[in-house]
Amino acid sequence: MLEYLKYAGILFGLIILQLGINWLLPVTSYKITPDVTLIGIVYVSINRGKIIGSVSGFFSGLVLDLISFSFLGLSTLSKASAGFFAGFFFRESKINKYLSTYIFVLIVLFASLVNNFFYYVLYYQGSSLQIIDIVLRYILPTSIYTSFISVIPLMFFRKRLFKR
Amino acid sequence: MKTLLQFFGNLKEYIIYSILVLTSLILIFQNENIQVRFIRAIAVSVMGVVQNTFSIIPNVFKIDAENKSLRENNITLSNELSKLKESKLENIRLAKMLEFKEKTGLNTVSASIIGKTLIQTRNNITLNVGENDSVKIGMPVISDKGLVGKVIATSSNYCVAQILLNKDLKVTAKDQRSRVDGIIGWEGEGKVLMKNVSKSSDVLVGDVIITSEYSNNFPPGIPIGFVASVGTVDNLFKKIEIQTFADFEILEEVFVIKYLSNDERQNLEKKLNPKQK
Repeated sequence: MLEYLKYAGILFGLIILQLGINWLLPVTSYKITPDVTLIGIVYVSINRGKIIGSVSGFFSGLVLDLISFSFLGLSTLSKASAGFFAGFFFRESKINKYLSTYIFVLIVLFASLVNNFFYYVLYYQGSSLQIIDIVLRYILPTSIYTSFISVIPLMFFRKRLFKR
Repeated sequence: MKTLLQFFGNLKEYIIYSILVLTSLILIFQNENIQVRFIRAIAVSVMGVVQNTFSIIPNVFKIDAENKSLRENNITLSNELSKLKESKLENIRLAKMLEFKEKTGLNTVSASIIGKTLIQTRNNITLNVGENDSVKIGMPVISDKGLVGKVIATSSNYCVAQILLNKDLKVTAKDQRSRVDGIIGWEGEGKVLMKNVSKSSDVLVGDVIITSEYSNNFPPGIPIGFVASVGTVDNLFKKIEIQTFADFEILEEVFVIKYLSNDERQNLEKKLNPKQK
């Protein structure tokens, strides 16, 4: 139970961080920002598997939707999906390996692609943007940016692991 | 049961994920913006495709009931179609008759043939008009094509008419082109003949034969038929076969002309020629 509260605390902190620092970090002409909450969800999924990963993704998305006044349900769907698919990398024996090596960055990239695909494809439905435009302008840059930012927690995990 | 629980246990991750996705979609559909409307449209399309796919699977009980209903509908529609066809044909016939009636200007009573004999030597037709319709014995019967016959018996609501294919009916006629006179009659077989036409008379195949003004029973100028063949009977007379305009096989509606012979004329002719009937 304590562990779950820890995950909830981490995710909530990341949500606050995301909302707080996003104005500092936009890149490209389309104001791309990293999804730090997703990094937390990937962390939870690698540690606890698909169910906890998808549930934590769902509730994180719900909080994000409520706080950001975006249309409700979009982040819940995309983040629950990202958490679920990141959960495929859950192996009891390989948690430390995944969290402390470049594999973590790749998993974040994969989960971010899933998350952004659901999010942006649904978000831009009804607009004049083609799917290829959505992929090139938003999905790929956001995913790469998020996986790049995930290097920071990776360093933190490595440092913690070597301390042990 | 245990296997079933195990099966669902193995799928619990997917079931939970599906529930989360479903909940997200429900949340999305609660929104009212352009993206949601578009997604709803896609969802409706997808549901339509899914429902359409599942509708291929036949429901035996439904099919049985549907077949029964379709058979009943089929019978009803067949009946209606038949009635409509009949009405259409009747409409065409009646339109022609109306046109004919207006064209001729004769005082007529329209009638339907309700009985017909065509295989005897004295063939008649029974009509659904009678004395109540002012139909009297001796009145001519015509169709939109031409002369049919003459009324020989009446009751209150019906009458019987001799037709051209009756040995007893004789009609004074003439060739419309050459004005050659003759007597139209039938000998019980073959075509109607035009008799009493001398060998030297000008009658050609294709000439139209009409009723003559010499006739006591028929108004002049009613078309009877056309000359089908011209031969010789003996050294004196021609054998002229007439193809009647009226097709008695398919005849269904006729007119009774309210025309009776002039009694004064008949009486005068009888007085001079007492042998005349």
